Amino acid sequence: MSGLLLQGIINGLIMGVIYGLIGAGLNIVFGVLRVVNFAHGEFVILGAYFAWFLLQALGIQPFLAMPLTFAVFFGVSYLLYFVLIPPLAKADDPEISSLLLMFGVSISMGALMLLVFDADARSLSFEMEPVFLTFGPVVVPTVRLVALAAALMIVAGLAYFLYRTHTGKALRAIIMNRDAVRIVGIKVEQLSAIAFGLGIGLAGVTGILTALVFPSFSPFVGADYTLIGFVVIVLGGLGHPIGAMLGAILFAVTEQVASIYFNPSIATICGFVLMVATIFVRPTGLLGRQALR
Amino acid sequence: MLKVEGLQKRFGGVAALRGVGFHLPRRAILGVIGMNGSGKTTMLNCINGIYQPDSGSIRLDGKEIGGLPVHTIARRGIGRTFQVPRVFSHLSLLDNLDVAQGQMGLSAAERYEASSYWLNKVQLFGLRHNFAEELSGGQQKLLELARIMVAKPKVILLDEPFAGVNPGLAQLLIAIIAELPREHDCSVVLVSHDLTSIYQLSGHVIVLNEGTLLCEGDANTVRNDPAVIEAYLGA
Amino acid sequence: MQSADHAAAVEASRRQDEGGERLRARMAAAFFAAVIAALALVPVLTGNTSFAFYLMLWITMASALNIVVGFTGYLPFGYVVFYGVGAYAAGICYKVLGWPIPLALVASGVAGICLALLLAPTLRLKGVYFGIVSLALATIMRLIIANLPSDITGGSMGLILSSSNNPFASYYAMLLVMAATLLSVLWLAQSALGKALKAIRDDDGAAACIGIDVPRTRLVAWLLAALFPALAGGVEAWHTNIIDPEYAFHVLITAKSIVYAMAGGFGTIIGPVVGAAVLLGIDHVIWQKFPLINLLLLGLVIIALMLFLPRGIVGTVLKRRPQLRRFIA
Repeated sequence: MSGLLLQGIINGLIMGVIYGLIGAGLNIVFGVLRVVNFAHGEFVILGAYFAWFLLQALGIQPFLAMPLTFAVFFGVSYLLYFVLIPPLAKADDPEISSLLLMFGVSISMGALMLLVFDADARSLSFEMEPVFLTFGPVVVPTVRLVALAAALMIVAGLAYFLYRTHTGKALRAIIMNRDAVRIVGIKVEQLSAIAFGLGIGLAGVTGILTALVFPSFSPFVGADYTLIGFVVIVLGGLGHPIGAMLGAILFAVTEQVASIYFNPSIATICGFVLMVATIFVRPTGLLGRQALR
Repeated sequence: MLKVEGLQKRFGGVAALRGVGFHLPRRAILGVIGMNGSGKTTMLNCINGIYQPDSGSIRLDGKEIGGLPVHTIARRGIGRTFQVPRVFSHLSLLDNLDVAQGQMGLSAAERYEASSYWLNKVQLFGLRHNFAEELSGGQQKLLELARIMVAKPKVILLDEPFAGVNPGLAQLLIAIIAELPREHDCSVVLVSHDLTSIYQLSGHVIVLNEGTLLCEGDANTVRNDPAVIEAYLGA
Repeated sequence: MQSADHAAAVEASRRQDEGGERLRARMAAAFFAAVIAALALVPVLTGNTSFAFYLMLWITMASALNIVVGFTGYLPFGYVVFYGVGAYAAGICYKVLGWPIPLALVASGVAGICLALLLAPTLRLKGVYFGIVSLALATIMRLIIANLPSDITGGSMGLILSSSNNPFASYYAMLLVMAATLLSVLWLAQSALGKALKAIRDDDGAAACIGIDVPRTRLVAWLLAALFPALAGGVEAWHTNIIDPEYAFHVLITAKSIVYAMAGGFGTIIGPVVGAAVLLGIDHVIWQKFPLINLLLLGLVIIALMLFLPRGIVGTVLKRRPQLRRFIA
């Protein structure tokens, strides 16, 4: 009994960290740009396909593919920023307009992936010896543990970047007060492009992690990841990079523990109900401080 | 008319108001001055219900209004403007005034008459079909004043009406405010940094400092009060 | 004497200004009447009513959504929940309870209103928070319905209402729902309520300061915006005879409603009608000519619209030529 519970908590922690990375990417883009990236889940899936391609065609192992994926995704979306985002400033309600724009991107990407990779579910055929590690009553696939370690390293790297480097500090300054930053004379445009690249680069890397942790991926599941990403950042606090991680772990542990006792859809309901209830008690999420319009 | 007593408001650990009170007689203009952060805007927000005061009483015509919802207080006859004007940007000027009379049970013709009167008064009648977002900042302040006046309020709270307004429009504003008490039976609480216009308009002035009443009296008394001089010039 | 002159001048300018407003309303009403009349003739003139039926459905969805987005600024990303619940209410009342179709459709509307009342507390939230909570609640609703005993909801198979089949009557029922939606929007745009809603959308704090009861006013718009998609869901279930749990709560339904309304221009009353007609037309052509890349092109159309016409077709025209505001609402 308690063994099952422990298993659920462990699974929840592993997924929580990965959900947290999805949320962190979304949060950086939202916090810095006020852009609601509804295509985030599609970028996650694209990351998984990219790793699949690297493994199949070039034999590059998934963990080695991570830095490469990040670099490619960062570069492409850094350029994409200048095409997509600046025109939004003219809209009456840039936040909602960004949501719709990125929804268009999401539909297009889903359709493109469907055309290129077909509708079949794929999986990364990657195994480690031993396949499972056993800790008392808890059994964990080795790949998951390694993925967890990789995720934690990414989180640490992200935290270092945001809190210790000059660029990272400037990004956080934009999140806290966009107008003041403009006055101080930080180059908002270029930093915004970096934030967009960083958020989507993170999505790509997270995609590889999800492909290692979950059995399969297909062009259709992007929206699910987007929804989960939003749920965890709304739970943790919009625009708050660490809030996303906290919200994600809470959400995933709730969901995984509930899935021990109920069927999977009830478990999903539990996760969402947790989010809705939190919002009603704390309208800006667990760590959100300022009331966002 | 409006009587405020012992008003207190804390935000977390910070006491923004520490027992402020004043009495605003009918057809008077009360000037409120004070440094940034002295509690002026917080006091207005408590009076019109945006904030719930922690303690103290706010009475309009002898009836307690403290703690009522914002729209109820507005319907009882308290209007207010904001430091940064808050007009309805995507409504025409006419509709900005029309919507402010929605609770009064007037016919369309009566509403139009009041709207056109006040738009003429603030010299914006020619722009009546424009969206409010197309006005300059100063014009938006005039529109805001017209918007509260069409509802025939008993008391209006003006928060820095001259801030960011060019001198020409400021003169127009001063002239309009000066005649509100007598011509429209309206009492005014006027919060401003601009001491000259306060001394010019207000018979009675209160000075706030760190959430308390530093001193009060007519313009001369306040101008020569040592505490005020110290607070303004010493700091 | 001077005051008599003055009163006459005020009266004259009032006549003129009100005439302008009435002209705008008449233009919109004439446009709506033309749309309704044309759609009423379709089944008489041609055998193929499918495109026209879905045009009416999407005009209803987009216009009703415009009530909540255009007039209040809330973007409910779980908007589909009203449609889905309406469809299931009609299906369950007809199939399980054995009610006649008209009564089942009334039940759809009632279900939509009840759900909107249940979700009303979410109106306290703002912006993205509201959108995401709305999406989460729609997902919860879908999962709850999927987990109800399958002799009520049909489980993952959905409900089949074959014995009710009447494409002709259901076509005109949809026309009725669409006409009611358009009339409501038209009325709303003229009414004090509509102006109050727009004021709230621009600045809810300032709206409260001029005496508008913000929560109550928003609630009215919310209930209206929920009623019509619920009815549309019920009528569509009747028309197609099928309620599919995946489709009835699919996020694409919300998305299309938003995109069509946006394409025309939120906040303008003819915008969603124009947007739905144009985009559904494009969609239809794409679907026939390039079925494989249909979704891809739809996505690209949305991106292009957002980049080049962020205010929508009608909204952009009004921005470029403000003098047209006198004629187009």
